[in-house]
Amino acid sequence: MASDGGLAEAYTRLIPLADIDPGDERFRITTRRDGDTLHLSLQRIGLLAAPLVLPRGPGFILVSGFRRVDGCRRLGWRTIPARVLEAQTATYACALKAVAENSLERSLNLIETSRALLLLEQHAPAGSIPSEDASALGLPTHAGLAAKVKTLCRMPEEVQAAVLEEALSFAMACEIGQLEEGPAVAFARLFRRLKTSLNKQREIVTLVSEIACREGIDSRAVLSEPGVLGVQDAEDLDRNQKTQRIRRLLRQRRFPALAAAEDHFHALRRRLKLGENLQLAPPRDFEGTRFTLTLNFERLEEVGRLRAKLDELVEHPDFKILMTGKGRGFAGTSGP
Amino acid sequence: MKIAALYIDAQVADRPDTLGIRRRLGVPAKMVANADDVYADVAAAEDPIGNGKQVLFLTRNKGAFLKDCPGTRHYTCCGYRILHIGSYCTMDCSYCILQAYFHPPVLQYYVNHEDMVRELEHCLSEPGIKRIGTGEFTDSLIWEPWTDLSRTLTLRFACQDRAVLELKTKTVNISSLLDLDHRRKTILAWSLNTERVIRSEERGTASLNARLRAAAQAAQAGYPIAFHFDPVVITDGCEEDYRQVVKRLFAAVPPEQIVWISLGAFRFMPDLKPVIQRRFPDSRIVYGEFIAGLDGKARYFKPLRMKVLRSLAQAILSQAPQTCVYMCMEDDEVWRHALGFSPAERGGLARMLDEAAVRHCGLNAGSCRS
Repeated sequence: MASDGGLAEAYTRLIPLADIDPGDERFRITTRRDGDTLHLSLQRIGLLAAPLVLPRGPGFILVSGFRRVDGCRRLGWRTIPARVLEAQTATYACALKAVAENSLERSLNLIETSRALLLLEQHAPAGSIPSEDASALGLPTHAGLAAKVKTLCRMPEEVQAAVLEEALSFAMACEIGQLEEGPAVAFARLFRRLKTSLNKQREIVTLVSEIACREGIDSRAVLSEPGVLGVQDAEDLDRNQKTQRIRRLLRQRRFPALAAAEDHFHALRRRLKLGENLQLAPPRDFEGTRFTLTLNFERLEEVGRLRAKLDELVEHPDFKILMTGKGRGFAGTSGP
Repeated sequence: MKIAALYIDAQVADRPDTLGIRRRLGVPAKMVANADDVYADVAAAEDPIGNGKQVLFLTRNKGAFLKDCPGTRHYTCCGYRILHIGSYCTMDCSYCILQAYFHPPVLQYYVNHEDMVRELEHCLSEPGIKRIGTGEFTDSLIWEPWTDLSRTLTLRFACQDRAVLELKTKTVNISSLLDLDHRRKTILAWSLNTERVIRSEERGTASLNARLRAAAQAAQAGYPIAFHFDPVVITDGCEEDYRQVVKRLFAAVPPEQIVWISLGAFRFMPDLKPVIQRRFPDSRIVYGEFIAGLDGKARYFKPLRMKVLRSLAQAILSQAPQTCVYMCMEDDEVWRHALGFSPAERGGLARMLDEAAVRHCGLNAGSCRS
């Protein structure tokens, strides 16, 4: 490594558990706090790897082995073997060891990676992590990516929880992380319930944020509207149905005239009873002037039937309304 | 915004226009070998777009001075020709496309006027009516405090009968033009909007009252006048607001002196949206009901703009039925709904505007006087 990490030697000895400060988590990387299974293993097999500690004042602070020490405490042990670093070990060297003992043993999740980067950066002698160190520890070396990852562990806990549950992708977490805490937590809470895809999350965030900006209100107020809350709490809907309904509600709220025109169009089209072999599509967003008719057939007789259907269609009053009412969003022409 | 720094392309350092501007501006000047030096300085600022408005770069226009208006095939364009005197603007409108059009945007003024004059003379010698304007890549009259260009152009256009010059502005910088013998070959045009839009979106521009007062002065000086309601911004109650502006417009300027009035609903390239959100966090202008237009620009949902444009057109035509009112970049469906006809029914938009120019400015297409 490019740093002096290798020079900070440790020796193993028995130390009282009570001498380890339980409140000092400055070197904690792991996000797991459940000692349930680990303390059972410790009870049956014993402590295979001694935690790493740094002398501080009359006792010690933990550098690595937070879950193991928790497990030992649950078992009521009084002393444990620990690897004790030299008291004057540089903080950056301790940080390197703290990260290495996690990252070289298993894959770090995004929040752990974020904590590792932040920890190293806070203590790096030159203020930035030497890329050789990041690379040796399996951490991101690309400056832009590392900068974004680092922000994760400073985000509100509910956002971090959503990332850990994979209810929130890295990209979306970065976007939400730029919001104020209240709205960020509200979105994280929603996505933990919906567990929907990145694109749909992005659509929901954009719709809510733009409605909030337009009306000068907080995003939380939009997410707390009775319609949105009602869908979230509906017991007869699954996650996909809830997502779909919430997107629809928000879209109607953000684009009321366009959504109403779409509804009018669909209602008029239903009344045409086109059947499955004839499809009528409007211009995209009703901006252009050309509609599209698609005919599906396999046999000549079907073409004949479609021709008859087309003749009917041309004379159908609702079809005329569709052709002439576009500029008014089909409203006020004939109610669906 | 006030010019804080002057950059001079070393190749134009000794030109009379350069020396004149330098003297009138009175800010420290920096000689540069090429434009990249200026762009680098502007781009290094925290807000390059805002910074570019305070940095004036005097240089040569290496391209064409006369260009066609960049219309698209999906919507009807007016066939205007742009005289490219400079670029960008000292005013700071939230919706200004120039913020996203140049990278980075820098206030540039071209001093190689002999090339401009050569192109202009060639254009004016060709047969046919021409409508030429300087207000596409910049505001036509922001340059008045430091240059005599508008005066020079007005006098040049006064000596011919085939073309009109349109000077389009949101300023009131017309004092140097009022005493000229313009022979009605220069149209002074103001971009108009509601008090609310001017207050919230048009930073550093003249107030509506001031613009209308200037228009009234110009009309008294015999200039043909034009107005551009562009961008029309759709909000609750906007139709009444626009009707009030129309009322005030006709209280200031007699209809018979108005060559044309254009209407254009707010539209923008997608790249502009994040710029507005970043630079104008209090602006709500991008949160209207926009869809992707056929030209890729964001546009209001068509029925919404049809309704507002129709209301505005009716407000104008009810007070001045003879006025040439046209839509900027709209299709036939919008035209028919708002005005009751499509441009093709009147021989095309370019012809409509040419005829208005002939009528109000005394042009003569066949004239040899150039």
